[in-house]
Amino acid sequence: MSADSPMIQVKNLWKVFGSNPDKVIGTELASLTRSELRAKTGNTVAVRDVSFDVAPGEVFVVMGLSGSGKSTLVRCMTRLIEPTAGELIFSGEDILKVDGNRLRELRRTKFSMVFQHFGLLPHRKVIDNIAYPLEINGVGKAERHKRAQEVIELVGLNGYSEAYPEQLSGGMQQRVGLARALAADPEIMFLDEPFSALDPLIRRDMQSEVIRLHHELGKTMVFITHDLQEAAKVGDRIAIMRDGALIQVGTPAELVANPKDEYVANFVRDIAKSHVLTLRYIARPLRSDESAATVELDADLIIREALPTVLEAHRPIHVVSGGSSIGVVSAEDVLALIASVN
Amino acid sequence: MYRKLLERKGYFFLGFIALWYALSKIFFDKATWELGIADNTSFTNVVGDAAGAISGNRTHSPFFVYFFNPIRLFINGFVDIIRNLIATPSNGHAAPTIGWLGVIAILAFITLATSRIRMAILVITFLLGCGALGMWADTMDTLAMTLAAVLLSLAIGIPCGIWAGLSDRVLKLFTPILDLAQILPTMVYLAPLALFFMIGEASATIATMIYSVPISIRITSHAIRSLNFSPVEASISMGATKKQTLSKVQLPMAKQMIVLGVNQTVMAALSFVVIAALIAAPGLGKPVISALTIQNTGRGFVAGLAVVLVAIMLDRATSAAAMKQKAFIPPTESEKRRKRLNVSIAGAVALGATIASHFVTALGNFPDNFDIATPISNATNSFVNFLVNDVSFLTVGFKDIISIRVLNPIEDMLARAPWFMTLTMFVIAALVLAGKRIAFLTFVLLSAIAATGLWFDAMITLTQTIVATLLTMIVGVALGIWVGRSKRADSLLRPFLDAGQTMPAFVYLVPILGLFGPTRFTAIATGIVYSIPVVVKIVGEGIRSVPESMIEAATAAGSNVRQIITKVQLPASKRALMLAANQGMIFVLAVIVIGGFVGSGGLGYIVIMGSSKPELQGKGLVAGFVILLLGVAIDRVAQAASRRA
Repeated sequence: MSADSPMIQVKNLWKVFGSNPDKVIGTELASLTRSELRAKTGNTVAVRDVSFDVAPGEVFVVMGLSGSGKSTLVRCMTRLIEPTAGELIFSGEDILKVDGNRLRELRRTKFSMVFQHFGLLPHRKVIDNIAYPLEINGVGKAERHKRAQEVIELVGLNGYSEAYPEQLSGGMQQRVGLARALAADPEIMFLDEPFSALDPLIRRDMQSEVIRLHHELGKTMVFITHDLQEAAKVGDRIAIMRDGALIQVGTPAELVANPKDEYVANFVRDIAKSHVLTLRYIARPLRSDESAATVELDADLIIREALPTVLEAHRPIHVVSGGSSIGVVSAEDVLALIASVN
Repeated sequence: MYRKLLERKGYFFLGFIALWYALSKIFFDKATWELGIADNTSFTNVVGDAAGAISGNRTHSPFFVYFFNPIRLFINGFVDIIRNLIATPSNGHAAPTIGWLGVIAILAFITLATSRIRMAILVITFLLGCGALGMWADTMDTLAMTLAAVLLSLAIGIPCGIWAGLSDRVLKLFTPILDLAQILPTMVYLAPLALFFMIGEASATIATMIYSVPISIRITSHAIRSLNFSPVEASISMGATKKQTLSKVQLPMAKQMIVLGVNQTVMAALSFVVIAALIAAPGLGKPVISALTIQNTGRGFVAGLAVVLVAIMLDRATSAAAMKQKAFIPPTESEKRRKRLNVSIAGAVALGATIASHFVTALGNFPDNFDIATPISNATNSFVNFLVNDVSFLTVGFKDIISIRVLNPIEDMLARAPWFMTLTMFVIAALVLAGKRIAFLTFVLLSAIAATGLWFDAMITLTQTIVATLLTMIVGVALGIWVGRSKRADSLLRPFLDAGQTMPAFVYLVPILGLFGPTRFTAIATGIVYSIPVVVKIVGEGIRSVPESMIEAATAAGSNVRQIITKVQLPASKRALMLAANQGMIFVLAVIVIGGFVGSGGLGYIVIMGSSKPELQGKGLVAGFVILLLGVAIDRVAQAASRRA
């Protein structure tokens, strides 16, 4: 497999809850809205014809409000909930077609999951919680404790290995959850609203922790959240989900700059544009009455980070992409964007 | 609009009952189908013949040879192993294999190992108390029977409970059976069991299991189902097999509740083992029954006291063991070391005591040279005499008021009116209260009762059940409101309520019989005492679960306490009230039929006569069946009515 082929391919994935889910997909019923369909058939569409790819090493965020189907989607991807239809290909293998044994093997080695409410075992010490995935895979005690100890150090749980989950704060408990998900060294991690149950300050720490772990280990991550700030912070790309369907997929900057519809626009309104947009999005032609500064800035630089240079220059600065200028930005442009009421 | 309808319904019912009463006066004593106690109907004769044929086949029918008899022999053997160990002299020995000292030492050791030293001291004291009451051998028999029934119950109940906890389909399959077992009054299955397994240990153990296995299944399955799902889901997501998730996640997490289920199973088994004395189960039930039969309150009290001691002891010891499972965090190393030291010393002492009690006869058979039973018995008798003779207005007066003013009129309406009139009135009432389906069910069940020929006795039992339930509700709801509103009242009454629920119903009969003599009222009073705890608990829980915000809003609007109770708390806990009435009635029915023993007449008396007189065996079996029909009818109507409420 070549390096740039996707790690995960989701193709036309459906999940319909109800007595006769097969009667919905591929018929004219599939085009009804959720409430219409429920009124007509009693079925609920939780995931509607979802397709996307995730590249190796990418952090892919699925973001939506409660009831949008994002939790069902991530459970379909791990087959904790059986999807009704579609294809789900991890490194070339359609995991919807594998049998129970192979599925367990994949779960033990290939991907792992972090849960909103941690899902720790209250009757086990931290170290045995973390070693649990190795234990069920038949790894001997000495070896799995050695590996667990490595992961404990990796996630900053030093000194807590003999504690019980109840004795830890929420943030520390979720570190145990992260460590457990890393223990079997999977290629893919699914994180289902991992920090939603934490206090805001701790949440911020944990977001940074995930970013750090991602830099160090380079795991492919599918990250579910309802918090757009969080999505923008950790995500390489964000998929916005509503009523079971993906509305728009893109980088944070793409979503902010070109929201596909009113719903996405409303969503991204609260994001500070200067934090996600790059200079590319505000570059404009040099006016005749201006003269550009001698410095140049890269088009993919986040506006916020360009701010000091732009302010110091007192003149428009050329924005360069691929060696040639695509326009200029001036202090007024940047300040106008920062000051703009969304 | 809704209120108006409700008021109209109220008027309708007043009118309806007045009409019913008037009609029953007009047609007094006509077509009542009253049957003398020694009389059989053609139907009871058929059942009697069938029963005779069944017991006649005991030695050669394949059903018996390959099914019932092996079960009976297995259970008898199992019970006898335990009885020989602690209760009865065996193997040419003058005392049981383990004598009294050994039993006390072993039980104290087990209690120490599973909970705290205080609990072990309580166990020792209570066991010595049972011995001092002259009840050692019977206490050991009761313990042996309870232990056997509990072990067998758990062996079935826990695996089935786990199964029902994991599979919705299995739970759905079990639920109606468990429901039925729970509303079945004791007396219903004693006689049929005795028919197939003969009277004695096997029937008593199976009867006990019918009562205690459902409890074990229910609690185990609930324990599995009420687990936090997150760790279970996490385990599956990591590729654990079902077996791994069960053994490493679900069972360890559910352990405390499953042990709590053991406590409930033990208490249920104990209360039943005592009652099973009716079918010749060995143990403390025997002296209670013989005291009831000769109406010696004092001696019954002594035996009852021993039952109470055993009940409290088992309840405290097993629930303490369950509480200890609560924390998932185990004790520290030094705590563990101290505990290990304590346990090994106690273990050595227990072992020594056990060996000594095996070889030294004085440590084997409980010494009978300090008799506290006779003074207690005499004191009780003279106290009861004082109550009955010198303050008779408290006992006889109250009894007469209830009997003449309440019991007789209702009995006239239900039993002494033509049977078809009563039946019609009931069906109409069910139609208005609970709808067509239930009205039809009522019609079918009552017609079935009428068809058995035991209509009159069924109505006598029903009358007593209704009266006892009414009185229970009056007292129980008042106490329930108190308990629900005041934390102090709750902590004050809770020990009594808990004790009331763990005590076998039989034990209450003794003092009440002393007070009121062998009458209908004794059965009713026992029913009330037995069912009040459950009513108080349900009502209290209902009142307590009314949201604080509702009460705050009512208080802010200027309501006084009475208004808050009548306009907010009671209407908001309507469902709890209905449930309490339903449960209360089922509990009352179970006791009322036991009251047949002490002169309440009705179906219970027929069941008891049936078990002692061969020519009435058929009638007794039919009466048991009628009790079942009555129970189902009451339960269904009450449940449907509460759904409508």
